[in-house]
Amino acid sequence: MTTVQYEAIFQQVVVLLQKYAPQPGPIQEDTELINDLGFDSLRVMEMLHDVEDAFDITYPLNTMSDLRTVKDFTSQIQKIIEMS
Amino acid sequence: MSILNKLDAIAKTRKALLPPGIDPFNVVIDEIYSATEASICGQRVLLAGSNNYLGLTFDRRCIDAAQISLEKEGTGTTGSRMANGTFAGHRMLENELALFYGYSNAIVFSTGFVTNLGVISTLAGPGDVIIMDADSHASIYDACRMSGAEMIRFRHNNMVDLDKKLRRLGSRAENTLIIVEGVYSMLGDCAPLKAIASLKRKYGAWLMVDEAHSMGVMGDHGRGMAEAAGVEQDVDFIVGTFSKTFGSIGGYCVSNHPELDLVRYISRSYIFTASPSPSTIASVREALRVIQENPQLRTKLWENAELLYQGLKRLGFELGPDAGPIVAIRVPTKDQTMLAWKALLDKGLYVNLVLPPAAPAGLSLLRCSISAAHTPEQINYILDVFAEIQPLMAAPE
Repeated sequence: MTTVQYEAIFQQVVVLLQKYAPQPGPIQEDTELINDLGFDSLRVMEMLHDVEDAFDITYPLNTMSDLRTVKDFTSQIQKIIEMS
Repeated sequence: MSILNKLDAIAKTRKALLPPGIDPFNVVIDEIYSATEASICGQRVLLAGSNNYLGLTFDRRCIDAAQISLEKEGTGTTGSRMANGTFAGHRMLENELALFYGYSNAIVFSTGFVTNLGVISTLAGPGDVIIMDADSHASIYDACRMSGAEMIRFRHNNMVDLDKKLRRLGSRAENTLIIVEGVYSMLGDCAPLKAIASLKRKYGAWLMVDEAHSMGVMGDHGRGMAEAAGVEQDVDFIVGTFSKTFGSIGGYCVSNHPELDLVRYISRSYIFTASPSPSTIASVREALRVIQENPQLRTKLWENAELLYQGLKRLGFELGPDAGPIVAIRVPTKDQTMLAWKALLDKGLYVNLVLPPAAPAGLSLLRCSISAAHTPEQINYILDVFAEIQPLMAAPE
């Protein structure tokens, strides 16, 4: 994992989360999407379209159930970028 | 802590949402009088949200066919399709469906929902990819999850997004099943099937179309959106239901791929559930004949649909994009939608109440579905009642 790339992805993810979070608040790596930001599965799916456009990736729905924290989300995006 | 704690949130939401006197999501029809009239809460109401597109639930020919079968074959099969639940009628219906579509194979299931579960989860598996329209029905989402295939959504009816996602798959596109609906159930808008079929060909993918709300409604022969768009030969699998136009219950899949027949040996929703009762099958077979021999029913349906759509448009309501048998009225807020729905019911009109997440894009809707059985007077009544309650639906200041 290259730290620079992870950091860049993280910064973009924070911007997108702030746009879509039903309960906006400070966002750190360990911030939880559901418990802290108030996301439900529908809201996450709405955000995914923007995530896909921002990183030019396709985000499979199968991996959504593994997402808990912002770090999980960022790492998953990084993984998809590296595989594409 | 209990396994039931997770339901607390639902209980709170329900309490906050429900108008006094009736739960809009658990409406009981006390008595049903015809394809368009019933009694709810002791009051006679006009039904404008029943998906009974051709009004066949009370068609004399379908009722007679079911009654004869009931006397002759009994109340149920008491078995699954794989065991003792395939009667001659089930097979004859499959042959008739295949003939109607001009495809080589057909399979009948017990409901439309389990048709999608059974067919999709069998056809696609780990290592495959499914690309589905974002506004797809819950049965498609559940089936895709069950399949173990990689699940990808494309923006609703957005061909640029579908193209992009197919392109990114590279050679994996050949192992990709695209799933769309002919007509989408909530807003009544149609899939751009010509463009979708063209992308399917371009990338060598597979295509499934769910014609639940378009069978009997679209196309010169009523075969659905694929027929209307002239792309039937590009569609690998068509799925549909008997619970709307056919006025009964059950589901089916037709295809030119002989492998469809093998689904019978694998699909758990085919093997481990009781088959449709013989009288159900008899009424569906008769309905299929009625659909084919009475194109005037479709003409009447579209006349009624136009009358309602244009009438509501003239009144200034914000509607779905396409005129058709499903007419969805957008209401600014959830609370207004609930109030308006109750006011309509109090005035003797039943429509569907649709709140997020059931409606796409966070919309709150009053969803009407029109029938060939509606009379012009009934449609005028629908318009009059909507005009009366219109102030309840004004955009908040």
